[in-house]
Amino acid sequence: MAEITYEGKTFEVDEDGFLLKFEEWCPEWVEYVKESEGISEITEDHQKILDFLQDYYKKNGIAPMVRILSKNTGFKLKQVYELFPSGPGKGACKMAGLPKPTGCV
Amino acid sequence: MPQGTFCNTTPIGTEDELKALLGDKGGAQYYEEMKELDVDSDAIAALLEKTCQSRIRTWLEICAHCGMCADSCFLYRVNDRDPKQVPAYKIQSTLGELVKKKGKVTNEFMRHCVDVAWSQCTCCNRCGMYCPHGIDMGVMFSYLRGILNSQGFVPWEMKIGSGMHRVYNAQMDVTTEDWIDTCEWMAEEYEEEWPGLEIPIDKEDADIMYTLNAREPKHYPEDLAEAAILFHLAGENWTVPSTGWEQTSLSMFAGDWAACKMQVESVYNAIEKLRPKRVIGTECGHAHRATVIEGPYWAGREDGLPPAPYIHYVEWVAEALRTGKIKIDPEKKIKEPVTLQDSCNYVRNHGLAKATREIMSYIAEDFREMGPNREHNYCCGGGGGFNGIGKYRKERNKALQTKRDQILATGCKLVIAPCHNCWDAIRDLEEEYEIGIRWSFLKPLLIKMAIVPDHLKLPEE
Repeated sequence: MAEITYEGKTFEVDEDGFLLKFEEWCPEWVEYVKESEGISEITEDHQKILDFLQDYYKKNGIAPMVRILSKNTGFKLKQVYELFPSGPGKGACKMAGLPKPTGCV
Repeated sequence: MPQGTFCNTTPIGTEDELKALLGDKGGAQYYEEMKELDVDSDAIAALLEKTCQSRIRTWLEICAHCGMCADSCFLYRVNDRDPKQVPAYKIQSTLGELVKKKGKVTNEFMRHCVDVAWSQCTCCNRCGMYCPHGIDMGVMFSYLRGILNSQGFVPWEMKIGSGMHRVYNAQMDVTTEDWIDTCEWMAEEYEEEWPGLEIPIDKEDADIMYTLNAREPKHYPEDLAEAAILFHLAGENWTVPSTGWEQTSLSMFAGDWAACKMQVESVYNAIEKLRPKRVIGTECGHAHRATVIEGPYWAGREDGLPPAPYIHYVEWVAEALRTGKIKIDPEKKIKEPVTLQDSCNYVRNHGLAKATREIMSYIAEDFREMGPNREHNYCCGGGGGFNGIGKYRKERNKALQTKRDQILATGCKLVIAPCHNCWDAIRDLEEEYEIGIRWSFLKPLLIKMAIVPDHLKLPEE
């Protein structure tokens, strides 16, 4: 497994660059991921999605489906894509420290 | 005997078991346990006796070791023509040995078979076209996967995938309630742009029942909305079932035969319940293979056919363009050079190359073929579950070089990939090799190009 060091923090990541240990998540991780996701600034809206993804993951051990994300954050699908151009299942999950979704994704 | 907590011969049966397995990130403990897993030789021998029948036994015996299959295999070519990547060698040294030794093999041998079956063959079936005897190593590797799975030797993600099918009747955790909610949500969100847009659920005797891939409701619901928009534009009388909508089969990639049968029967039950005139599957390759080509046999259907005519999305698109149900605005045709990925699962394995080319003739001004193409095209590099297995990422990324080079040779910056797996592989090859390409399914492109009939336009237009 690869290790990434950014702003003095070290992160263990899987083969697709997703955090291997959810507990290692910290704001520096978000800073690290945002560039590769084409996001210039983390707004309150981004944060709202990240917070929900983390809460859901803590309770369920898996990423939510987009409908559940939308329902709980109030964002329409288009807004979710505007916030996370690579999509909720990939960019947003990666930034929130969730593992890469399994299956055909 | 050690059966691991996670790596064992018991298939996933409950949501809790599934979540526990997911919690073992990357399968760290799972793969450690696999090293200790006992091999039940008697059980393998009995399974071979029952299932390894004349075709496979004959194939194993008549292989002349001529080597004609070598160059047909993109994994052999891309891995510096390593003799260990010759299809005949790969299958003889795994399934061949297993049969010869009647299952009396070691744990180490079984793990070697796992590596070969899931990282050295994508079951693309290209070798079968080049073997003078017509021996298809892809078919045999699919079979080997089943034998390995029966002993608990299966990659972590594959066990999760088939476990999802067993728990949710879908390759992802999408419940019936979530599915219906997503259909209603997508119809509601997109109705703003498409007045009257509907996603009809459980409509009986419709002309079309539509089936799809769980990734669509789970991660990419716009795909479902786009299908609805195109049916709406074409004026189709269509529906989706509330259960039995999931057309894919990760259990097929996993070699979990019981789950394959269970999954495809859920789709067939929906067909029998709703009695559509025909069924259309989404832009997915393996879903078509699982439900249209192989599924009837898993389900024991005597005629070898699904309960209603079942076509791939590209067949419907070709028909819609041909009959004028969907009309393309000539001004909006794709002007730039564009190439097309032929999915092994419905092109090589179901002869649909003409349908996709017919579509290209309507939508593209400068369509450029990859070489080779049609039935001879190479796998995207991530088929057969390869994309989804983290343990083999290095090998998969190497495999993507074949498609990268095919695309680069066309000079195109846009690749149409009407298959989820191919789409993912092409996305990943761009991430890995940064060759500056874009990739797309047909649906979003068609929506941009289609002429919207007056009665379907927004009132203010």
